[in-house]
Amino acid sequence: MQRREFFKQLGTAAVVTTMIPAMSFAADAPKPKSPNAFSYKQAVEVITGGKPVEISSKVQLKVPEIAENGAVVPVTVTVESPMTDSDYVKAIHIFATKNGNTRCIDVYLTPANGKAMFSTRIKLGQTQEVAALVELSDGTFLSAAQSVKVTIGGCG
Amino acid sequence: MEISRRDFMHIAAIFGLGAATSGVASSKTPAQISLKDIYDFKATGNFSLLHMCDLHAHIKPLYWREPSTLISAPNLVGTPGFLCGEAFAKHYGLEPSSLDAYFDTYMDFEELAKKFGKMGGIAHIKTVLEHIRKERGEDNVLFLDSGDTWQGTGVALKTKGEAIVKAQNYLGVDVMVGHWEFTYGKERVHELIEMLDAKFVTQNVVGNDPFSDEYEELIFEPYTIQEKGGAKIGIIGQSFPFTSTANPKEFTEGWSFGLRLDTLQEYVNELRNEHKVDCVVVLSHDGFSVDQEVARQVHGIDFILSGHTHDPSPKPITINGTVIVIAGSHGKYIGRLDVDAKDGKVLDYEYKLIPIASNMIPADPAGAKLVDELYTPFAKELNEVLGTTKNTLYKRDTFFSTFDQLINDAIMDEMKCDISFTPGYRWGTTVLAGDDILMDNVYEMCGITYPNVYTFELKGKKIATLLEDIADNVFNANPLYQQGGDMSRLGGITYSIAVANKAGERISKLTVGGKPIDPNKTYIVSSWGGNLQKAGENLQEDKIRAVYDITRDYIKRKKVVDVSNEGNVTLVDYDCGCPVKGSRSC
Repeated sequence: MQRREFFKQLGTAAVVTTMIPAMSFAADAPKPKSPNAFSYKQAVEVITGGKPVEISSKVQLKVPEIAENGAVVPVTVTVESPMTDSDYVKAIHIFATKNGNTRCIDVYLTPANGKAMFSTRIKLGQTQEVAALVELSDGTFLSAAQSVKVTIGGCG
Repeated sequence: MEISRRDFMHIAAIFGLGAATSGVASSKTPAQISLKDIYDFKATGNFSLLHMCDLHAHIKPLYWREPSTLISAPNLVGTPGFLCGEAFAKHYGLEPSSLDAYFDTYMDFEELAKKFGKMGGIAHIKTVLEHIRKERGEDNVLFLDSGDTWQGTGVALKTKGEAIVKAQNYLGVDVMVGHWEFTYGKERVHELIEMLDAKFVTQNVVGNDPFSDEYEELIFEPYTIQEKGGAKIGIIGQSFPFTSTANPKEFTEGWSFGLRLDTLQEYVNELRNEHKVDCVVVLSHDGFSVDQEVARQVHGIDFILSGHTHDPSPKPITINGTVIVIAGSHGKYIGRLDVDAKDGKVLDYEYKLIPIASNMIPADPAGAKLVDELYTPFAKELNEVLGTTKNTLYKRDTFFSTFDQLINDAIMDEMKCDISFTPGYRWGTTVLAGDDILMDNVYEMCGITYPNVYTFELKGKKIATLLEDIADNVFNANPLYQQGGDMSRLGGITYSIAVANKAGERISKLTVGGKPIDPNKTYIVSSWGGNLQKAGENLQEDKIRAVYDITRDYIKRKKVVDVSNEGNVTLVDYDCGCPVKGSRSC
């Protein structure tokens, strides 16, 4: 039962990916300075234009506390939103705050996505915070962050 | 559900639960203490949950000295899970030199060991189990095993876990979860589960190989529902969440672990809402402090039967209406939890941690016979006397222990390395001063399925970073970022540590061979039981050898080993090894 439920959700996520016309990897963004050259703080400012960002429980960031493998860390961002024409999630940005390239992915959504959820895997060079920055249709920004430990292995 | 939790809290307050029966607090000698004192229990409710954790394959009784140093981040100091010695005795109100003090603390260990003798052993455990089964009625008792059962001795290693599955079947284990079990490899785990009479349940292991049929599927049944004493009991399994980082990945390739609290919550809800159980139990190998976090984050669990961190906890703790118990390690204790549950609610409970004092609890003859049978094929090797020890060889401590130092000495002597790393596992054994060291004891300390000692090169800078990394696994202020072990034991190195400092800034005055460490110098490092060799260069392939063979040969060469208890680590920010709550001193 439970597994099937999960697959349904995966299905939703796959739809999200294929239906987004404007999804772009950060490196392709046409900026004078490559987005990857920005620090985490600067990158957030570029996206928000300096607007305030509210840490919100509406943004659910699912990452492991301790990465099983730093090279493929699963990340899922789910945003509580009705996804109607008047109130929807415009974009989800995922950051690895201490990576050389802090900006992992920018995902742009429309109400047609139906659900604001995105799953991917990111690479983490070291123990750090993973952050999600979410832009809503009214132009406000929400965020969530969690520390992920990347370790060579502990003890039993 | 909310109502039922509140009801439970209310009832807990009325009955003064949590302050359940303390153990056999008395300083009586074995002759004065009777079996009656050990068995003494106020039977309660309609069923009993009997609990064992971290047997580590000790089917025979053993000596086991609890830690004399158990240091944690300041916010956790003196809380259950981070209590030892005097602080432990004070917290739980133990009388000095009592049977409980002997079982639960390191204090006067050698003297009390002579007085009270060895601990645990399946033949003695069985006697206690049968006593309770008889008292309560067979149909009203469940025996639950929190895992780390199949690994830890020579007989376990040589039979790839089979001897211990036979022991579990003999004891009548009903449900279990795992951690070191997984180090026999996926295929063997499935084979052993086939031989096992108990159910192996685990909700937090899921396939992560996209090309496998198991992808995103549960590998094990997540829970089981058992009916005892007219109550429906839902038992959800939680195996060790960090198995794939704490132990080599190759054993569980394609399986993903993790705490998975979101699915744990779903199963709790499913048991309550769809299956209408009367009591929800999580059988866990998360560790005592992590399970306290689990109780804060997951709602609707009645009892967590914890394991992994080897804590004896004479009294249960209650967090958000969830009662958490843990029953020590190495077969030293059986936890008895009597529960009164009906109509979807727990009304009352009673708990006691029963010490398996092998001199007082008679051995079940069938168990003694089974142990003999299991040992016979390997008796010649395991009973070989390798040498004797001048001082007591023990395992548990946050930074240093004598048996680990002996292993490091053996490795450094053979490998001619600058530094030796021995893992800070919490399982092992204790050999009393003056006693013979048997090959069996060496396996008890390092009998693992990946025993190779690797010798390679590491830059000073890298060594310092690695030590900080390991320290953060042990001393992180958030239990969810700890992995439940102690600091790696280091040969050839001394250092100072400020535990309360930020990650990456804890360690200072690091010396190698008596000289300050040179960040740019390349050192020869030997290590086993971890992944350190993957960080190194120029691995010396021809020197690779099993740690138990290296240790055996060294003890045989030395004949009498003399390891001092002095230690190689200076603790900067605490005055003693067993600080009390809210303090940096005792």
